[in-house]
Amino acid sequence: MGVMRNIVAIYRKELQSYFASPLAYIIAGAFWFLAGLFFVVILQTGIQQVSAFDLQGQQPVDLPSLIQQNFLQVMSSLALVILPILSMGLYAEERKRGTLELLATSPITNWAVAVGKLLGVLTFFITLVLPLLVYEAIAFDAANPPAPPWVLLVGHGGLILLAAAVLSLGLFMSSLTESSILAAILTFALVLLLWIIDLIGQNLGGPVGAAFNHLSLLKHYTNLSQGIVDTSSLVLFASYIFLGLYLTAQSIDILRFQRS
Amino acid sequence: MIEVEHLSKVYGSTTAIQDLSFRVEPGEILGLLGPNGAGKTTTMRILSGYLPATSGTARIAGYEVHEDPMAVRQRIGYLPETPPLYPDMTVEGFLNFVARLKGVGPGDRPKQVTSALDRCNLLEKRHVLIRKLSKGFRQRVGIAQAIVHDPPAIILDEPTVGLDPLQIIEVRNLIKSLAGSHTVILSTHILPEVSMTCSRVAIINQGHVVTTGTLEELMVQLTGGNSYELEVAGSAAVVQQQLQQLPEIQRIEFSPSKTAPHSPNQTIAREQMEPASPVAAGSSRLKLRIIPHSEVDIAPEIAATLVNAGLRLYELRRVRASLEDVFLELTTEERAPDVIETAGGAA
Repeated sequence: MGVMRNIVAIYRKELQSYFASPLAYIIAGAFWFLAGLFFVVILQTGIQQVSAFDLQGQQPVDLPSLIQQNFLQVMSSLALVILPILSMGLYAEERKRGTLELLATSPITNWAVAVGKLLGVLTFFITLVLPLLVYEAIAFDAANPPAPPWVLLVGHGGLILLAAAVLSLGLFMSSLTESSILAAILTFALVLLLWIIDLIGQNLGGPVGAAFNHLSLLKHYTNLSQGIVDTSSLVLFASYIFLGLYLTAQSIDILRFQRS
Repeated sequence: MIEVEHLSKVYGSTTAIQDLSFRVEPGEILGLLGPNGAGKTTTMRILSGYLPATSGTARIAGYEVHEDPMAVRQRIGYLPETPPLYPDMTVEGFLNFVARLKGVGPGDRPKQVTSALDRCNLLEKRHVLIRKLSKGFRQRVGIAQAIVHDPPAIILDEPTVGLDPLQIIEVRNLIKSLAGSHTVILSTHILPEVSMTCSRVAIINQGHVVTTGTLEELMVQLTGGNSYELEVAGSAAVVQQQLQQLPEIQRIEFSPSKTAPHSPNQTIAREQMEPASPVAAGSSRLKLRIIPHSEVDIAPEIAATLVNAGLRLYELRRVRASLEDVFLELTTEERAPDVIETAGGAA
């Protein structure tokens, strides 16, 4: 009850800050421009491929899901570049401005602050993704036969889960430093690590490779983008999100013991 | 209302505060006075629950800050050294956010925010972005966020630092108006601030409470309440010898620097002004300070003694100890070297 009210208070404050932030508008503009550009390119390449197949008299391919998979792969790469920028200031700015002292002396737990902040930044990311759904829906509806809408929704749900996991870890990185830039760099490093885990999982066979495969956020994301919903994927995403929130709450608590 | 007992805080190898104990009664304003680095901010941070103490207890409204942090946080308003403000929020938006954080219900919120704006004289700035406010206004927003939820205890860390004189007066009046309905503890290294705003003072130095009490108590305790400043013509030895006849005198301090002529110009000016005075050119004029044992006014006795001895008395003034003297006396460890104890009979 009280915790919910606290989370909502932080959440609303975070959302308001995006309206006042020029950086948020720049990121949104860049994201929508690049996403639109990639979509058009992927769509046209797909259509050319299909007409080439038709001329050769081969079996028809499932063009909508092919396009969607390609597009979601590109989107995840784009998101992984943008997400560290979104999460970098979440705590670093509070530390720099001294407002963390206000939060730390208010009747609100570190967890509530972290959850409110994560929900806020995730909402911002979802508003970035929603418009993409509109033009994808239009394009895929024109396909014959029309692509099932649930594949589209599962894929984008995967994108949002991936974002939530990365943002949660970015939140933790941001809580470690007073410098937003440093927080962004640390989060980028973490994203690179995710890519490396994915690469090892893909190229290394045996039980070790399987373990890496299982830990790879990107691998599970690829499954979701193909419309494959697996409980283990959902558990893994939830674990990453929880890990980030837990580390954040702990790191803010430890901050009080350090010399300020 | 606020009870601090044997509080200590150690950062690594440095001890910020050691065995600090004091109380603040409901409705009073306690000034925590001390030089920079005395441990004021550390104390405030422990009281607010931001820092954990190494040992000792601090209770606010009956709740221990380490055992019941949430209960304490609900009952305090805290202004840190730098006001915690979000530059991209409006004044009203920020206060609304803080009120929500502190658990003010949605029904009471507009009333509370308006009342805080009103008390801090911020009504005409309510829709302005904090980023665009001057330092004085930001400080006021900082105080407004500490009182917006009407907490019983208010902790203000250096509330007037960096303000211009007019703003300082405003902020002090605001703090004074909080007394009675709120318990306030404020830290400062500025002496007049304490005498102007606080009902009681705790002086801390190097992490220890040196003394606590009302301002009057402190002054009496230290210097017996008053002292006398004299200007006499004659040699120090003679004056000393004469004054020693008075048993009420505790000690005599000579200020030698002022007896010597400062520059030729000044000497000429003095001669022109007081041509009749044989000692006007001044090398034998003494300035001294007499500190009596008791509060009994001995000015007539001093004057009679000196005049009867044939010394020329130019000035005799009774001075109350200023807080500045109290502070210096409490926090400087070594006494000035030119004090002559009458009991020692040095001369």
